Amino acid sequence: MSRSDVLVDADWVEAHRGDPGVVLVEVDEDTTAYDKGHIANAVKLDWKKDLQDPVRRDFVDKHGFEELLSDRGISNDDLVILYGGNNNWFAAYAYWYFRLYGHAGVKLLDGGRKKWELDSRDLVTEVVQRPRTSYHAADPDTSIRAFRDEVIASIGQRNLVDVRSPDEFSGKLLAPAHLPQEQAQRAGHIPTARNVPWSKAANDDGTFKSDDDLRKLYGDQAGLDFGKDTIAYCRIGERSAHTWFVLHELLGQRGVKNYDGSWTEYGSLVGVPIELGEGR
Amino acid sequence: MTGQPEGCGAPAGGVAVTENSSGEAIIEGTVSAGGAPVQVGYARLLNDGGEFVAEVPLGSDGGFRFFAAPGTWTVRVLAPRGARAEETVSADRGHTTTLAVSVTAPGS
Repeated sequence: MSRSDVLVDADWVEAHRGDPGVVLVEVDEDTTAYDKGHIANAVKLDWKKDLQDPVRRDFVDKHGFEELLSDRGISNDDLVILYGGNNNWFAAYAYWYFRLYGHAGVKLLDGGRKKWELDSRDLVTEVVQRPRTSYHAADPDTSIRAFRDEVIASIGQRNLVDVRSPDEFSGKLLAPAHLPQEQAQRAGHIPTARNVPWSKAANDDGTFKSDDDLRKLYGDQAGLDFGKDTIAYCRIGERSAHTWFVLHELLGQRGVKNYDGSWTEYGSLVGVPIELGEGR
Repeated sequence: MTGQPEGCGAPAGGVAVTENSSGEAIIEGTVSAGGAPVQVGYARLLNDGGEFVAEVPLGSDGGFRFFAAPGTWTVRVLAPRGARAEETVSADRGHTTTLAVSVTAPGS
């Protein structure tokens, strides 16, 4: 798999955003960003309202995903270009989700909304209405999703990559520093996890670093054993979707899973081992 | 530290520290260019080792806010046309550190 199979740049989007069969989708945690201005022709996905189950802690099921994509006018054959704020965290999460439900044509806009804005490219407020489709999702591909028992069984066995900031990893902070710190669960990290903050995989403008730099980051510097399977986690699974994208889609590693329960689940479990302080 | 910050909460290019009742160690501020708020841009928070901790888009008033922990932090601002600024501040529980950041684009 090469970069062009999974990434497009802003010039490509400028040239192809009106093409039939290409659907731009902005995915945000804070959807007021889309409402204030988005790339022309882009439709909106709300990370919380659209992608999470409203009652259980889980993401929407197959039927819910089919209904969502049908409602947004996305067909099985469309090439979906995802982008968003927070350095594409939630766009990467949605990408993982599209893959999980078997959508073949999906790519990320490298650098996401931030690079687009820093380049002073145009944003519009007109909302495009796409005609409804009949989307059919595949059964969820759990080869890319990790659950808690598997994570506990992987301690000391597989690569565990904690992609939160060093201060969340060590236990100094419980959440990213743009969010209030009031969560009740314990701080720290899963024993044997290596701390490779997601941000090390990205340049300041939000674009991904080169494949060579990424291989050095996870291999030489973090000491991941590329011969073993890997589970990535963060706080709620969105930043680790960004790292899953790097390892699985850009570097072509097999056996990489995103643990979307992440620290908000693990750090609230009774009796599981937790390590504090800097990693080894 | 200044007594009563005026306007946006801190003197231009300065830092003001006030108490807050939330118990959070808050770092906040506004970003301006030539006296006008920078509405498109990003503020990122780095820890004392220079590692990325968080990033937020600037509000329509050029504002940003972080919930940090006690210690020394760096706020780096990214704005269009390569405009950058960086300030190092300290934060403490129950205190709000307010920054007024001014950016200049290279060659402007």
